[in-house]
Amino acid sequence: MHKNFGDVYAVQGVNFDVQAGEIFSLLGPNGAGKSTIISMLACLLEPTQGDALVMGHSILRDPMAVKAAIGVIPQDIALYEDLSARENLNFWGKMYGLRGAALRQRVDEVLGVIGLAERQKGRVGKFSGGMKRRLNVGIALLHKPHVIIMDEPTVGIDPQSRRNILDNVKELNQQGMTVLYTTHYMEEAQELSDNIAIMDQGKIIAHGTHDELVKIVGELDRIDLTINAEAGRVLERWQATEGVHQVSAENGQLTLLVDDSNVVLPRLFESASRGGVRITSVEIQEPNLEAVFLHLTGRALRD
Amino acid sequence: MKVLDIALKDMLRSFRSGFALVMMFVVPLLITGIIYSAFGGLGGDGGFDLPVTRVQVVNLDQPGPQFSFSLGQMLVGFLQDERLAELLQVTEAADEANARAAVDSQDAGVAVIIPPDFTTAALAPEGRASITLYQDPTLTLGPGIVKGIVSQFVDGFAGTRIASGVVADQLGQRGVAIDASLMQEVAMQYGAWAEALGRSRGEGAHPALDIQPPPSKTEPVSQGAGMMGPIMAGMVIFFAFFTGASTAETIIREDEVGTLARLFTTPTPRAVILGGKFAAGFITLIAQVVVLMLASAVIFRIRWGEPLSVALVALGLVVAAVGFGLFIMSFLKSTRQAGPVMGTVLTLSGMVGGLFTTGIPNLPAAYDTINLLTPHGWVLRGWKLVMAGGGVGDVLLPVLVTLGMGIIFFAVGALVFRRRFA
Repeated sequence: MHKNFGDVYAVQGVNFDVQAGEIFSLLGPNGAGKSTIISMLACLLEPTQGDALVMGHSILRDPMAVKAAIGVIPQDIALYEDLSARENLNFWGKMYGLRGAALRQRVDEVLGVIGLAERQKGRVGKFSGGMKRRLNVGIALLHKPHVIIMDEPTVGIDPQSRRNILDNVKELNQQGMTVLYTTHYMEEAQELSDNIAIMDQGKIIAHGTHDELVKIVGELDRIDLTINAEAGRVLERWQATEGVHQVSAENGQLTLLVDDSNVVLPRLFESASRGGVRITSVEIQEPNLEAVFLHLTGRALRD
Repeated sequence: MKVLDIALKDMLRSFRSGFALVMMFVVPLLITGIIYSAFGGLGGDGGFDLPVTRVQVVNLDQPGPQFSFSLGQMLVGFLQDERLAELLQVTEAADEANARAAVDSQDAGVAVIIPPDFTTAALAPEGRASITLYQDPTLTLGPGIVKGIVSQFVDGFAGTRIASGVVADQLGQRGVAIDASLMQEVAMQYGAWAEALGRSRGEGAHPALDIQPPPSKTEPVSQGAGMMGPIMAGMVIFFAFFTGASTAETIIREDEVGTLARLFTTPTPRAVILGGKFAAGFITLIAQVVVLMLASAVIFRIRWGEPLSVALVALGLVVAAVGFGLFIMSFLKSTRQAGPVMGTVLTLSGMVGGLFTTGIPNLPAAYDTINLLTPHGWVLRGWKLVMAGGGVGDVLLPVLVTLGMGIIFFAVGALVFRRRFA
């Protein structure tokens, strides 16, 4: 699929398959095109070029069938705050075609799943952020969709609610739902996904399982450093240091991909000392998706 | 079915909003109540009571032998008409000095002095005559009413003279002999027409549109109730348009909080979503109009008119208000814009539509025409006709125009929204 907004190419020739029953993550920084893809798959936007099939239904030719097959959990909470939790679920259930006893039963089930059965009559406007998040998820589950689409559901929430949502995603997947998940948190993609597509500037730049992706950077170690001076004072010198493959500086932090951190680190300390620079913190990480993104784009996978 | 689900959800949210309830039901009654109280309030006839103005009239008119009537006497009769009894208490004074003395001693508010040559001068081709109004300087309303009534008579007679002149010229050109009795006949016919015209304008009908109800259907209404009805109608119309716009604003609000996009991800066609919004506005407005009419009938004893005609006018109002609201909102980007724009547009269109001047008598005819540039003006026209006793046939034109305007506004608004969310 392609999607242009005037001269802005938000999605450029993206093509991927998601197998039934798997968790598939689109991982990339903000502006990579993840939400645009989600909007097209949810039939909110039409592709400028191309098409997608969801459960065999074309998003262009049969959008109602696609919408009936998916449950979308939007990035921002989308609820009626002046209605109660139960009234929200009742309304959204009707929008998915549920009626009567089936609707009542399903609302009861979902209230149980999201842990809001005891607060079902409370106005949503008076709920905590975490409770709203859970209700936001619950709405997408009402019609037992085949595919759940989650667009960065953990942005801006507390660690406990985040943990709940990640656990929910796993539970839904264990119940047989296919999950398409977008995030810019490497840890979430790593923890949840069977398959991951790494996106940057509207394109998928790498695609595979976590292990397959990590192999792209081979056996390289990643070292995160902070120093007591401008990064420019050591950048060129470290790029030229033996055993260093890549150096990037962002927000006062330097990230290096190196052959063997045990060997390279002393060289870095020595080089810094000679330049009158002091290294104030060091963190060594095994190869991960962050390193893959750095390797492929030359930039860190941060906001 | 989903249309109703969306409508019921929107209505539930509206009726849970204290602000919306106050704006829909309390404020229109409150404003009318303030006006009601300011004009003397809770009187027995349900309207307010204007004080009766005591008038001393001196008729010095002495028409020549060539005239079989006295215009001065006609003016005295006009002022003593029983239909003006609620406003004027007219007494004939013996002479000018007595009349002026009565005003000086505050036994009368106004003295009307008709000059000796009134009939003769009025009917002479270049004749001029002046009626003197001598008034108590501490009074404003009563003398103003007397001045208006006398002016109406004099204007009518000026028209008579012009009409007689035109008839005389045209018949003269065709060689037809003209005598005094023929001229009197022309003058009488013109006078009858002018009187009917004045009455129709007083009821809010435009002279260029022959849609005034038959006089036989017109029920006599008290001065107070007659004025409170149009004032309340103006308030009902203004706040109905406010509700229409507020209902349409929920589309923008839902767009901002993400629930509209979420609705679009459900298997619900966009036309159904928009239809649900329209239905919510429609049902809410019906509830608002019915409640306001019933409440004002009980509190202010307003007689709204024949039920079927009232229902038709109310239907026109509801459709026009929903359509106009959607039209305005379709051009706005955010709820931050909506507040001030809605207030400005609705107030301006309400002013142009004449909603805030319903209690002011004798406005220029041109103002009646300007009113009709807005749907508000047409709804008000329909309502005035109904309250004046008009039937279905009488209100059909304003109702059809308001329905047409409402549908056109709705179509344009729906088209703009459709493109925006395509």
